Formats: sequence, structure tokens, C-alpha cells
Amino acid sequence: MFLQLLFISSALLTVLCAIGVLMVKNIMHSCVFLLGSLLGVAGLYATLGADFVAVTQIMVYVGGVVILMLFAVMLTGGKDFISRAQNLLGLPASMGNKLTYGVGLLVGLVFVLTNIKLLMGIAQTIPSKMINNEFPSTVSQIGHLLVKDHVLAFEISSVLLLGALVGAAIIARPRKQN
Amino acid sequence: MNQTVVSYLSKYEFYDSLLALFGNNQGVLAFTIYLLLALIIVGMCATIGGLGTYAERKISADLQARVGPNRVGPYGLLQFLADGVKMMTKEDIMPFTADKTLFYLAPLLCLTGVFATLAVLPFSGGFIMADLNVGIFYLVAISSLVGLGVFLGGYASNSKWSMLGGMRGASQIISYEIPVTISILAIVLLAGGMGFGTIVGQQGGLPHQWFLFHNPFAFMAFFVYSVGALAETNRAPFDLPEAESELVSGYHTEYTGMRFGFFALAEYIEVFVVCGVAASLFLGGYNIPGISIDILPIQAVQFVVFMTKTLLLYYVVIWIRWTLPRLRVDQLMSVCWKYLTPIAILNLMGCAIWMVVFNGKSIAELVLGGH
Repeated sequence: MFLQLLFISSALLTVLCAIGVLMVKNIMHSCVFLLGSLLGVAGLYATLGADFVAVTQIMVYVGGVVILMLFAVMLTGGKDFISRAQNLLGLPASMGNKLTYGVGLLVGLVFVLTNIKLLMGIAQTIPSKMINNEFPSTVSQIGHLLVKDHVLAFEISSVLLLGALVGAAIIARPRKQN
Repeated sequence: MNQTVVSYLSKYEFYDSLLALFGNNQGVLAFTIYLLLALIIVGMCATIGGLGTYAERKISADLQARVGPNRVGPYGLLQFLADGVKMMTKEDIMPFTADKTLFYLAPLLCLTGVFATLAVLPFSGGFIMADLNVGIFYLVAISSLVGLGVFLGGYASNSKWSMLGGMRGASQIISYEIPVTISILAIVLLAGGMGFGTIVGQQGGLPHQWFLFHNPFAFMAFFVYSVGALAETNRAPFDLPEAESELVSGYHTEYTGMRFGFFALAEYIEVFVVCGVAASLFLGGYNIPGISIDILPIQAVQFVVFMTKTLLLYYVVIWIRWTLPRLRVDQLMSVCWKYLTPIAILNLMGCAIWMVVFNGKSIAELVLGGH
């Protein structure tokens, strides 16, 4: 019962904070709402038994992405965004209007319904495979899969991240004065 | 699956009578045990944090040949309670141009992040809220909320000193997370698991069974971890976010009363947590030399052993603060990126090679011929 209670509160936290991200005008507050939403998602993972994924979610998003976003907003002058009358498309208001919300809702609904339809078939076949496995924890299972079955994908993604790192260093390095 | 304090207690007979008391409702009993234990641990650690401020003053007084606080209570021991009362009765000042929501939120984020780490801290074999199998990873991840609190506190105050302090704090905490995490990873490699129960269980009570003396690389990893941990908790010589001589008081310049108290308390408890992690990762944790039976009185002894190691490290942290001068910002960053991070990576690779070459044996086992 407590697990369900925790699941429902995590889900509520996720959804309410996601709405908060869209609704508040101050972009700094949006970032903090995003933090709540991401923590809620971590809670969902944890209550579903995926403890490693939950902690990784906190590590990557709360510890990395949100702090990075706050830094970026602050260094580019977060306060100026509040007073903007039009967005990049020339539509009024900073975060959207009735038209954009309507279109967004429609697209979202279609997207979610298609995904549920597609994933339903997979979800019904997977559990029998997953329940009886020989691993003591999700950590060792993920570890074994990463360095055995999916080692190529693992290595390729590390090359991608290295590329991103080098790219960022090249963009950020001080230019030579001629 | 994950071990918790409830699954530990359910081994004993009195658990069944407790269960009968709660009308055989497993969920309610588990919730009650967690709630009670959470209150005990948070209360205990808040007291330790409070006494930390007292210890800090008393030890600094010793080092500088002064007397230190000696008016309130015997030897001035109740000074921290007097400070608490003072903070609660102070006027709660909010800067006119501050971002009010974030200003309220920031100290809470700091305190939440620190208290959340207490859930996995192994006080003894059974007295650990949840021995998650991602334990140390969880601790590293959730403590990043502290960095967020420091940063938001600096931003929301809308003052130059706070802003500079907050930015320094965030960049420092993020940077030093890397050598600290890699050093921890070396130990995870030796233990073969990320849960605190596994890591402490792989060590013994005597020094030659500790991971500190397992191999030369683990020995170096301990010092990399210690330096990084000092920086992550914003302690001197890395207390640049609140450098009094240049930034007034850094990210909590504008905070008064209990809100400032939250920041201070969070810092002192975080030092305790960091010392506890060092004690359980490198110094054998709660293991008692020569005793392997598991009954309830033994748990109390284990608790004392853990606390002794942790508080000794706490003393060293305070000692360092009153001995070493503060670094400059550029020195801080070059220490992290040019020295600590490469050393930490070297340690990680060294530990991996050691495990393969010597088949996971420690130096003591190789010399004494044990297994």
C-alpha cells in the first residue's frame, strides 16, 4: 500500500511540476520546477524497482543538467526573459498562448496513445523473461549487459561524449589576440 | 534485494510480537519503524552538527592558545543550544530585491540533501536505514542537492557577494565531485559492490584488513578522497564560497536567523557524513576486530566503533581548517583538474590491474600468505 502511495505521490510531483514549468513566467523558477519534475521521475523509477536507473536519474539530471541550466540562464541574464512580449515565432506572451497549448495538447495525446498502442505488445511479453533471472541486483544485471551484450554501443557512446567534450573545449577556449 | 533496518529486525523474535501489536499489518509496522528511526537519526545528527560548532570553536581555541566558549553549561557545552535559541529569536530579514521563493527554498534544499544521505550511512550492521545495493552511488547523487542549494542561495539573495559565493560554490562542488567519485569507484572495484553492507563486509576489524592498506593505489585514493571531500563540503582550505576576507560571508551573506542556521547545520552534518563515508570505505567501518557473531548488543559496540572512527576524522577536518591558509580560486581549479583528477584515474586503473594481477589479494594477504 505504501509503495502505491509513494508511486502516486511521485507521479503527482512529476505532473504538477511539469505544469509548473510551463505556467510560471520566471525562467529561473521554471528550472526549479523542472528539478521537482525530474526528482518525481526518479521516484517513479525507484518505486518500480529500477533503483540503479532512479539514482542515475538524480545523478545526471539533478546533479548535472539542472545546475548547468541554472548556470546558463544566470550567465545570459535570466531576468530579461520575464519582460519579453513576444517569443521567437512572433507570438505574444513568453511561454505560449491558447493556440500553442491547444496544438501541444493534441500532439501530446496522439503521441502518448500511439506509444501505448505500440508498447502494449512488448510489455505483455517481457515480464516472464525478467522476473526469473540469476542476478542478485539490478546493478550487476546492468553491469553484465553493458560489458557483454551491449559493449559496442557502450564504447560508441563514450566516443560521442568525448567528441562533445572536445567540441565544448574548442568553443570555449580563449581566442588568440592578433 | 535491498536490505533495510526492517528486514534486519525481522530476524529477531520480538519482531513477531511487535507485529501482533500492530494487528499483523506489515506495512504500518514498517512505516512506524522507519519513521522512528528517521527521527532518531536526524535528531542525533543534528545534535552532532550542533556539537560540531562547539568542537570547532573549542579546538580552534586550543590551537590558538585561547580558552574558547566556557560560560554556558559545563565547559561551555551548551553553547550550541544558546546559539540555536539566539538564531530562532532573531529577526528574519529578507532583502527587498531578493527572489523570495528561491530565497526560502535554498536552505531547505541544502538541509534536505544532507539529511537524505543519512538514509544509507552505515552506523552499524543493522542500524542502517536502507542498505541499498546502489548505496554509495545514491549518496553521491543525492548530495548534489547541496550544491544546488548553495547556488540558488547565492542567486536568490541578489547581492554581489552572494552571487560570487554561490557561483564559486557550485563550480567547486561540481569540479571536486569528479576526483571524489573516481576514488570511490576504485573502492567499489575492490569490494565488488556499491552497497555499504558489501563494502564494509569485505573489510575486517584490524588495520591490515582495511581497504586503506589493501594496495598502494587504494592508499592514495583515500587521500584524494579526503582532499576532494574537504572541497565538496566547503571546508578550509577550500572555503572559497564563503571566504570572509573577500566575500563578506559568501552565499549566505544575506541570510539571518534560522535560515542561516540551516546552512551552517547542513555544512556541519555534511562534514560528519563525509567522515562517516571515509571511515566505512577505507577504515573498516563498523567492524570489530575478532568478533563475527551478530546479536543486538554487538550492534551497540559496532555503533561505537563507527562513531569513534568518524569523530576522529571530524577532528582532523577541524584541525586542518585552523592550520592551513585558504587557496586562490585559480589554484583551487588547477588542484582539482590538473592534479587530483589524473591521480584519481591512475588509482582506478591501478586498482583494476592489481585485482587482475594479484587475484584480488591485499598486501597483507600476499605477505602473510593468507587468503
